Amino acid sequence: MDSRIGAACSFILQSPPGEINDVLNDVRNIISDDETLEEGVLPALKEYNLAQFTTVDVPGTEHQVRASLSIISEAARLPTSENGEERWLDPRSKTSFGFNHLTLEASDPQPFEPDADAEEFRYVSNNIFLTFDDETATRSSLEKASLTYLLAHFHDGVASVFSKQGAQNQYLLQIVANKYNPSNYWSGRWRSEYLVNLNENTVEGKILVNIHYYEQGNVQLSTNHTISITLPSAVVTSPPSSAALKILALIETEEGKYQTSLNDTYHEMSEKTFKGLRRALPMTRQKLDWDKVLGYKLGAELSSSKGAFSTS
Amino acid sequence: MADLVDSMLDLMRRLPPTRTEENVNALIGVCPDYADDLLGSVDQPLQVRTDRLTGREYLACDYNRDGESFRSPWSNEYDPPLEDGTVPLPKLRKLEISANEVFDTYREMYFEGGVSSVYLWDLEDGGFAGVVLLKKTMTPATPQEPSGSWDSIHVFETAERGRQAHYKLTSTIMLQLITKKGSEGDNADGDKKNGEKKGPESWKRDGEVTLSGSMTRQTEQDWPIHDASSHITNTGKMIEEMEIKMRNLLQEVYFGKTRDIVYDLRSVDDLEKTRRQRELQKELLGSFKR
Repeated sequence: MDSRIGAACSFILQSPPGEINDVLNDVRNIISDDETLEEGVLPALKEYNLAQFTTVDVPGTEHQVRASLSIISEAARLPTSENGEERWLDPRSKTSFGFNHLTLEASDPQPFEPDADAEEFRYVSNNIFLTFDDETATRSSLEKASLTYLLAHFHDGVASVFSKQGAQNQYLLQIVANKYNPSNYWSGRWRSEYLVNLNENTVEGKILVNIHYYEQGNVQLSTNHTISITLPSAVVTSPPSSAALKILALIETEEGKYQTSLNDTYHEMSEKTFKGLRRALPMTRQKLDWDKVLGYKLGAELSSSKGAFSTS
Repeated sequence: MADLVDSMLDLMRRLPPTRTEENVNALIGVCPDYADDLLGSVDQPLQVRTDRLTGREYLACDYNRDGESFRSPWSNEYDPPLEDGTVPLPKLRKLEISANEVFDTYREMYFEGGVSSVYLWDLEDGGFAGVVLLKKTMTPATPQEPSGSWDSIHVFETAERGRQAHYKLTSTIMLQLITKKGSEGDNADGDKKNGEKKGPESWKRDGEVTLSGSMTRQTEQDWPIHDASSHITNTGKMIEEMEIKMRNLLQEVYFGKTRDIVYDLRSVDDLEKTRRQRELQKELLGSFKR
């Protein structure tokens, strides 16, 4: 591959929240070969969109929540059809759609009917027969509880719940919240993802926060946090709707704890690391007396060069 | 093609500060003709090197670089050695030696460790310019302890006007702070204190927080001069003032601004509850008015 394209792809993947177009414009100017570039960076744009939970407005779908958006992620990717076209799933409206990774636009929405093969009975580890309908019920219960949680804690959040493809009784909950404020030179993104595994009774999650502040500078906060919870049996044996509420309550507690613990980390960094790197003022609590320091240094230099009158 | 350099600088202002060196190298790979423009205008973390003659540590950056070699402020020698490496004229070198001594005291007073270096060079119009570099790194004893680094780059230019000198100072501070955390336990934290076991729920948490970046500020001032050494005290006062100002600014942006934005994304308190309370208040207020 053209090494210029390799560099361009690497820059794109490092884009801060909401600044992919700025990065892309810079890269276009630097490479100044739009034709090679556009084709070459498409895989990187796709990788970026999937990893960053890029949100898209799917035409024809109307969600009740103010953020009527869908998340583009690995979980939303439908198995590639025979003609090689990639399509994505909005699980809430059961709509499949095409997605352009450069323009970030959705197209050709179609009602999505899950695979009929899945409709047969399934045998699950804890001796319960689970039907396809059960799984649908669990997914939509988790979705409902997630949206309630989203409204309670995120200012501009989007959430999607997917049944994990190729697995039974496993669900992926994804949350993304973005705030872009270019006129005040900052942007931020919160991503969380949870794999709810009702075979193992576990919730495995990660939270990623990225903040960019760039007024006369470039300051970035980047955090990653992983959580793994074992679900109490009381949660697992509950009917789907109350199990979902309990799972989201656990997630709510964990995310709240994490956000509070970030405060402690900030405090520690400010009080220990920052102060340890550079004092606000010298021990004397006064600024330097520059004339005195200079005089002393020059004096020391003179006496050392003469070899006599050493002060020590 | 000033336009191209602008795009490169805009890009560097957006990409993660933790990867500055890697990205500058990638840009040079794409546009080798612009290597000098890039190296001259993108501030990169300072490299600590050891003077082979004096054994003292010094800081390497674009200002003491000649080809692949760097000049030490202590011995005035290039490493790897250069036959005809650029060095300041004797008069300016004398000032450079004093400046290094004085800023070494400054470093000890404020940083209580770290390394400092001052480099001066003659300007074509008769004045001179210089750079004051300061770096301190905190390496944790255990992985759980926070680590960090501070790099100051103060570039100044001066022109004498009779008994006055005009100074133009551009200061960049690069600051990086990293904290790693990990914990594991049974039950919720509150339950542990009571010694009660409430069920099989257990958890495990791991994570890392990185705050990194750089900020740049400029100032221009006039100061009186008595002799050549006045330039040291004058720039010293300006740099001290600037670092105090910028330290406050960094504190505000790193620990205030970025934290506020996290809270703009997610609220710890239940927003729906707040909304309901507000509506209730409105209703109550409305019933009073009636």
